[in-house]
Amino acid sequence: MKKVLKKTTLTFIITLLFLLIASEAMYGQSRRNKKENTDIWKYEIEGVQTGVQGTYLIKVWSYSPNANLAVEQAKKNAVHGIIFRGFAGSGRVPGQRALATNPNLEVEKQDFFRLFFAEGGKYLKFVSLTNDGAVAAEDRLRVGKEYKIGVIMSVNVDALRKDLEEAGIIKSLGRGF
Amino acid sequence: MKKLIITTILIICSVLPALSQAKKPTIMVVPSDLWCNTNGYMMEFDNQGTRVKLPDYKRAMQESADLMVVISKINELMTQRGFPLKNLESSLKSLETEAAETAMSSSRSGAELSESPIDKLKNIARADIWIQMTWTINTMGPRRSVTFVLQGLDAYTDKQVAGASGTGNQLIATELPIMLETAVLSHLDNFNGQLQQHFDDMFENGREITLRIRKWDSFDGDLMTEYGGDELGFQIENWVSDNTVQGRFSTADASENRMIFEQVRIPLYDANNRAVDARTWVRGLQRYLKDRFMIDSRITMRGLGQATLTVGEK
Repeated sequence: MKKVLKKTTLTFIITLLFLLIASEAMYGQSRRNKKENTDIWKYEIEGVQTGVQGTYLIKVWSYSPNANLAVEQAKKNAVHGIIFRGFAGSGRVPGQRALATNPNLEVEKQDFFRLFFAEGGKYLKFVSLTNDGAVAAEDRLRVGKEYKIGVIMSVNVDALRKDLEEAGIIKSLGRGF
Repeated sequence: MKKLIITTILIICSVLPALSQAKKPTIMVVPSDLWCNTNGYMMEFDNQGTRVKLPDYKRAMQESADLMVVISKINELMTQRGFPLKNLESSLKSLETEAAETAMSSSRSGAELSESPIDKLKNIARADIWIQMTWTINTMGPRRSVTFVLQGLDAYTDKQVAGASGTGNQLIATELPIMLETAVLSHLDNFNGQLQQHFDDMFENGREITLRIRKWDSFDGDLMTEYGGDELGFQIENWVSDNTVQGRFSTADASENRMIFEQVRIPLYDANNRAVDARTWVRGLQRYLKDRFMIDSRITMRGLGQATLTVGEK
């Protein structure tokens, strides 16, 4: 009886250890993928509608093996896109230019942007999800081993521009006069 | 102690250039001639037998509420960007007040204010950059959309320095002012992006101006007369070449009576680190002609970017 109990405990511990290792491997993988996708800034942006004054309403398509992570990642991508890429027009919604006119700005000010785009960084102040981040069925696509998720976001461009101007990252229109 | 004073002076000298500010261009929003003509805000007059049509801004501002909405929205957004604009309506009112004051002013001895015909001619609303806007309403059944065009025009070089245009969504039962406001919001950021590029270019390559050289008929000679071993026109051209940023300019026209220099890039600051505009820059040429060849001349200017030097006398 004692021997059977010992064997069962051992089996339980081994199973538990296996599960722990497996979950860590999966979580670690997803974390790595998230970081990789963020580091290479793999996303697409399209204009949805002219937002209320001072904001852009955009749809950000982000790639991730985890659909929930893609939604979170989209916030970062949205702010990154508005600063460095701008977006093309869609139908009758006009595209917008990037806030940064210098194409090397991200490298030149990498210390600033590393902190700005860190987990829980300042970028979160300028972006908000519409519909609580609900993703329409047609905006959830499976591309190979990962998801391509389209999330509609509102980016407060006026506040973002002002913040970057005050930090001396981009120039204001009246600077030098 | 001596070291401290020298260090302080050096620090002040190094900081001064960073503190000096270039002369700020004025910008004003006006409706385009096309919009004024389409909406009936034109005035016609007879110019020596030729019928000439000109936009009637004053009547447009007094009668079109939509125009007021658009101008006010653009002014509001530009102020938010830290670049307040000159207001067309206020400028027109200032001109009227100034004209009335000039007409009524007299000294104790009864003398009136001096005003030449050229002063009267120049008494118009002025800006260095005009934002010219046009909108048209497109109707398809019950749906309406607005096509909106913004053009930023340099008053002196006649170049379009910024622009944005597009047609908004087709909407049913939406008020026109809301459609116009949306159009302004949709296009102004792109417009400002191009304006920023224009300013960046100006800070890098100098202010672009137009210079005209003319001569009074009382002048004993012309621009092809030899002075100091070369024709006066070439002497002037050499001075322009020596005093422009990287020698950038183009001679658009040259004859014995006049020369036109376009795309002249002048530095934003002089040797004493003071802000320079077309007039202060041409003052250097005026001094050069006087010191080197004993030729008097008169400078007339238009805003920051256009100057005319008439040689022969003041």
